[in-house]
Amino acid sequence: MDGLFHFLNAVAAIGFSADLFAVIWATLLGIVIGMIPGLTATLGVALVTTLTFTMAPGTAILVLVSVYIGAIYGGGRTAILLNIPGTPANAASALDGFPLAKQGRAGEAMAVATTGSFLGSLVGMVGLALVAPWLAEFALDFTSFEFFWLAVFGVVLCGQMTAMDDPLKGWIAGFFGLLVAMVGQESLHAYARFSYGIPDLEGGFGLLPVLVGAFGCAEVFVVMRQEATKLVVSEVGSVLGSALSSVRYFKTWLRSGVIGTFMGVVPGVGEDMGAWMSYAAAKRASKTPEEFGKGSADGLLAAETGNNAAVPGALIPVLTLAIPGSAPAAVLLAAMIIHGLRPGPLIMVTQADFFYSVVAMVFWASCAMLVLGLILTRPLLFVLKIRREWLMATIFVLCVVGSFAIAGRVFDVWVMIGFGLIGFLMRETGFPVAPMILGVVLGPILDNNLRRSLSISQGDPLAFVSRPISAVIAGLVLAIVLLSLPPVQRALRSGMSRLTTR
Amino acid sequence: MSRARPVFTDVIGGLVVTIGGIAGLVESWRMPRFEVRKADPFTVPGLTPGLLCLVLTVLGIALLIRAMAGRGGAVALPILTWQPGSAARMIFTLVTVVIYGFVLFGNVPFVIATTIFVFAFTVGAELLNPERKLSLPALSAGALVLAICSSLVVRAVFVEIFLVKLPG
Repeated sequence: MDGLFHFLNAVAAIGFSADLFAVIWATLLGIVIGMIPGLTATLGVALVTTLTFTMAPGTAILVLVSVYIGAIYGGGRTAILLNIPGTPANAASALDGFPLAKQGRAGEAMAVATTGSFLGSLVGMVGLALVAPWLAEFALDFTSFEFFWLAVFGVVLCGQMTAMDDPLKGWIAGFFGLLVAMVGQESLHAYARFSYGIPDLEGGFGLLPVLVGAFGCAEVFVVMRQEATKLVVSEVGSVLGSALSSVRYFKTWLRSGVIGTFMGVVPGVGEDMGAWMSYAAAKRASKTPEEFGKGSADGLLAAETGNNAAVPGALIPVLTLAIPGSAPAAVLLAAMIIHGLRPGPLIMVTQADFFYSVVAMVFWASCAMLVLGLILTRPLLFVLKIRREWLMATIFVLCVVGSFAIAGRVFDVWVMIGFGLIGFLMRETGFPVAPMILGVVLGPILDNNLRRSLSISQGDPLAFVSRPISAVIAGLVLAIVLLSLPPVQRALRSGMSRLTTR
Repeated sequence: MSRARPVFTDVIGGLVVTIGGIAGLVESWRMPRFEVRKADPFTVPGLTPGLLCLVLTVLGIALLIRAMAGRGGAVALPILTWQPGSAARMIFTLVTVVIYGFVLFGNVPFVIATTIFVFAFTVGAELLNPERKLSLPALSAGALVLAICSSLVVRAVFVEIFLVKLPG
């Protein structure tokens, strides 16, 4: 009841203040960013973070949450109308969204996507409000041993999930990110690692320039490398009228909401997997699975509910463990730290009001998304007519200025461009970027807790697995690694086939 | 029996990771251990980077062995699917952003540097587009308007509203 009171208080505080205006413009900006192919939610949140330095911390996070939710939703528009996912999280939406549009049912598809995204966000919000306080309380028992394993678990799991067909590359990316975080002064002896007397390197690589580079600048390279796609927008038709009719897919949005929220919680995985897992589950549960991929409103609803539910889901580990659930959530975590907020296990003890404010932010951003999505369908279509060649130069300027603005160092601009190139090369050669970013975020956590644990245990490796929680997390890490090894997979497959043929 | 062809990009990737890992390992070993300060040996600065480099070296060797054996690469890598104009567009993008980020930004007044960059980038990118519809004068005029507007708007937003001091 106390939680509900805090939440309603936070909802009223935003609803009766000028912050409501910030929700509207930020959600609209997020939708526009999400709609433009090539601009991802991560890029949007990273770029807008650079605009929030002078805002009050609460308003800044409100703006970023709104952009995040808007962008994940906005990408669905492009998937439906152009068969091009606006963000990677909307790839599953294109499977049924575009066939629906081709059948002349684009209005219905957008209505289904809008209500699905809204309801998904709400399910995720409920998950955030219920699970996060419990997880934070649970995490209060964590010591340096658990936090060390949690950092390893995050990188290993993210590497596995973002590169399902090649986890080796995902792990290399993750451990590379951890190593990047080692550059600069460490916390115990104030020794500047890998700095070679260069003053700029002694401060280490700023999280924001690395993020903006790996996602924003790399995105400019990727978009410019590809040939321009011809944009032919389908007719839209009625949207508002179709919105209410999607209520009949009640079971799908509830199931997809729960799946999406759960996928959001898994470190570094986020919205893409939320959409795909929800889509797969909806197909399995459907009485007409043969319609999936040919214009099933049920399938579209599942994908859009799943990806938007993953947004609040990804905020759960951000707020309670300071470990991001997705790439945009990693930027959001960085923004919280920049604004002096301290997410982590103590959040419910020291900043309970802020926690419930974030839940209220998700609520208001979801409402803004619903209203803007339904009433601005046609005006927003003009966004799709902007040629990307005319956009990329300005995007790059924003990356440069944004990286510079945080500390006023030209060095950060060079770091941004350097990581832009690294991010681009990684994408081109099949290395996922998300584990690298997660590694950069988790690097200091891993470093401090590893050395603290070793110091406490005087180098006893058994101490790392003798506590129940750390033993469970260590076991999970081992299981993930073992199950990815081809000989183990082959043995499992042959064992399974022997069992089924008996 | 024909030997499987090594996945070229993975060989390069494996080599880079392995060499980088070994170099990092050596550098971590060379970091001070603060014995004179009687520091706890389990808190020395080189410990975590050393362990990370060790893991990276092992992973790099695994990638290298796998690529040399012709395994992996089940999914088509984007770098192997470049279209004819991709290299030209990529070189153009790289040159313009490096000139802007490393040379113009910080050394030339922001509005002038940004106007030059946005104009050159937009015109160049359109000229490399085989389906360009605008004539060169129309393209130049449009790009100039875009360049002036975007540099002034970005400056106004960051300097006037968000009080960021831009260089130059």
